[in-house]
Amino acid sequence: MRTPLPHVTLCCVLTALLLGSLPWACTAAERQWRGPYLETDALLIRLIPRTPDQMAAFYEGRGFARAAIERIRQTCFVTVHIENRSADVIWLDLDQWRFTGDGKPLPRLDAAHWDAQWEAIDLRQASRSTFGWTQLPALRDLQPDEPVGGNLVFPGTTELLTIEARFPVGADRQGTPIRAGFGGIHCRREAASP
Amino acid sequence: VNALFHIARILCLLAVAQAAPATGLPPGVMPVESIPAPALRLNDLDGTPYDLADTHGHWRFVHFWASWCGPCRREMPSIQQMQSLLGSDGPGIVLVNTAETGDEVFSFLAAVAPDLVPLLDSDGLVTEAWQPRGLPATFLVDPQGIIRYQALGGRSWEQPAYLEFLRHLPPGPTATPAGSR
Repeated sequence: MRTPLPHVTLCCVLTALLLGSLPWACTAAERQWRGPYLETDALLIRLIPRTPDQMAAFYEGRGFARAAIERIRQTCFVTVHIENRSADVIWLDLDQWRFTGDGKPLPRLDAAHWDAQWEAIDLRQASRSTFGWTQLPALRDLQPDEPVGGNLVFPGTTELLTIEARFPVGADRQGTPIRAGFGGIHCRREAASP
Repeated sequence: VNALFHIARILCLLAVAQAAPATGLPPGVMPVESIPAPALRLNDLDGTPYDLADTHGHWRFVHFWASWCGPCRREMPSIQQMQSLLGSDGPGIVLVNTAETGDEVFSFLAAVAPDLVPLLDSDGLVTEAWQPRGLPATFLVDPQGIIRYQALGGRSWEQPAYLEFLRHLPPGPTATPAGSR
């Protein structure tokens, strides 16, 4: 088994201080996942911060236009993977999530934002479709045993990001919500390539 | 010996019960409220046209995927294995690639599932019309062209619970043996 990673431990401690009562599964994270991670009986969440170079390479490899790549490079991607491991419906509803950078609210760049960007550069339909499918859905009634994944995108920043997630529970959303907090997420802005 | 036999039988029953939950559906397969399948008219890699409407009378396994999608990449070999294990006993497989080029599709499938025949949704609009919950996505369309089930995320289709489910889909009034697509 892999030994605990010092930077992950530090990340967990900082997050615990930042987010107080929100659950934080540091132990599991230290053993199984290098990035922000939460695993309970009901839910698995993994976050993978991406670099601008990673995202540019991904979309360039799929034939995205240069103008689209330039816009993507200005932003910060965090890939999210979630699995509902409970016997109940768990709601992924991004309106219930809070994003901050250095303590200040950080807007999420949503589908409407990207639609406007792609319209402005007349991006071809295939690229718009691919980009859309790589995004985390804004709303999803996660059924038992259902996974979901995709990217959250924020304006590019050198600040550490904090994500506070709230998941309504039950088909009628009336169950006790599940909360999770993740801090110390590096956007890892790099100098833009020439 | 009798005691051992009974224990083995109980263990087998427990295993079967786990594989097939009380709903009778394998894990991650959900019934859908009788939605008519949207139009699906696409070309395959050779440019041969395909129209889902022409295949009514069979169950169809309509699967949306892309080669950049990790769960899609992991699931694809299991679909090929499922096709091989079911033969003509299973639904016709309709494999729709979402918004990639023929070269991308060919180079991926040739390596991981060379027996499957993909259709190209080159601009992604057919995929959007079907409104999958994400990629990969699988819909089971009945012989009358109605979506009856959908699978949540990638599944291990070659596993017995899925094979049994797919073998025993109710036949339609005009059902005949269905091969690939």
